[in-house]
Amino acid sequence: MTSKDLVLESASDRTIRFERDALVFMDQLYAAALRYTRNPEDARDLVQDTYMKAFTSFHQFEEGTNLRAWLYRVLTTTFINSYRKKQRQPLIANNELEDWQIDQAQSHTSDLGKSAEVEALENLPDSDIKNALQELPEEFRMAVYLADVEGFSYKEIAEIVGIPAGTVMSRLHRGRKLLREKLADYARELGYSTDAADSKGTKSGTDAKEDE
Amino acid sequence: MSLFGAERIGCPEVLASIVFIIEDAIEQVEHPDDVRNHINLCPNCSRQLEHEQLTHTFLVDALRRACVEKAPESLYESIHSQLIGAGSATEVVTTYSMTEISIEIDEFGNVEHREVQIEETHVQHINFDDGSPKGKI
Repeated sequence: MTSKDLVLESASDRTIRFERDALVFMDQLYAAALRYTRNPEDARDLVQDTYMKAFTSFHQFEEGTNLRAWLYRVLTTTFINSYRKKQRQPLIANNELEDWQIDQAQSHTSDLGKSAEVEALENLPDSDIKNALQELPEEFRMAVYLADVEGFSYKEIAEIVGIPAGTVMSRLHRGRKLLREKLADYARELGYSTDAADSKGTKSGTDAKEDE
Repeated sequence: MSLFGAERIGCPEVLASIVFIIEDAIEQVEHPDDVRNHINLCPNCSRQLEHEQLTHTFLVDALRRACVEKAPESLYESIHSQLIGAGSATEVVTTYSMTEISIEIDEFGNVEHREVQIEETHVQHINFDDGSPKGKI
């Protein structure tokens, strides 16, 4: 088989294989793109760009490895490299890691807030949940989305986003915390009283005695 | 109260490790055994862990429920046709280029210099059959 034959053969096979294996993830990728870009038009374009890029480099993809994770990596990289610039979103503060250290000064929450928070999570309308997620800084939003909606492990997220695993962990911790605070705000508007909202802004020392 | 082992690290450190436990990565923290011991012996931290795990489960449920989306049909169509286009309109362009240079010097020292450029471009259009699976996936 000459090298030309190889090119011809793989190109034709590739289209078929790509359509068969990759397009099944379109709804999922579109959902992620909506959360990334926060508007349907950009989400459409992002998914289309993602599929074209993925198709172009599909020969580099090893069959049998995780195609879904690979597609998310293309999606995320494309978003970071082009759409983010277009949307001119500010990055989160550079002191991300230091905040993470400071954040260790956290305390136990009271029992009262616990059941209320869970109850609120069960009853909040989807629109509030989406809005709360939209309000997160982009880095936190991507990490939380990939972990909690898509179920990727922190190691997979590190590869998808292109950041160290430790950074993923800190973004998950801080992102979820922030998300819960925002959800608690929405819950309070609906009449729920949750501890997460009440303790907002008074991060440390609220129940220091409990720690002893 | 003597909390053997539990005293080696404080509650804040344990609470900061909860994300690692939720991610099933407790071995990534600095002292996983101390964290485990502390949680076993400290009722506040073990209650907190339980709460965090429960809340996380509910958070995941809420997020998954809220984030279900269906891509517009037109998006499927335009990606499909773009892929077929990209697959079938493949063009292989091969360009050969050769330059023949000859220099002749006669006995009087006159230099004769000739350059012949030979170029050949070969364009091959490759039309694949539309072998894509019919209908929606």
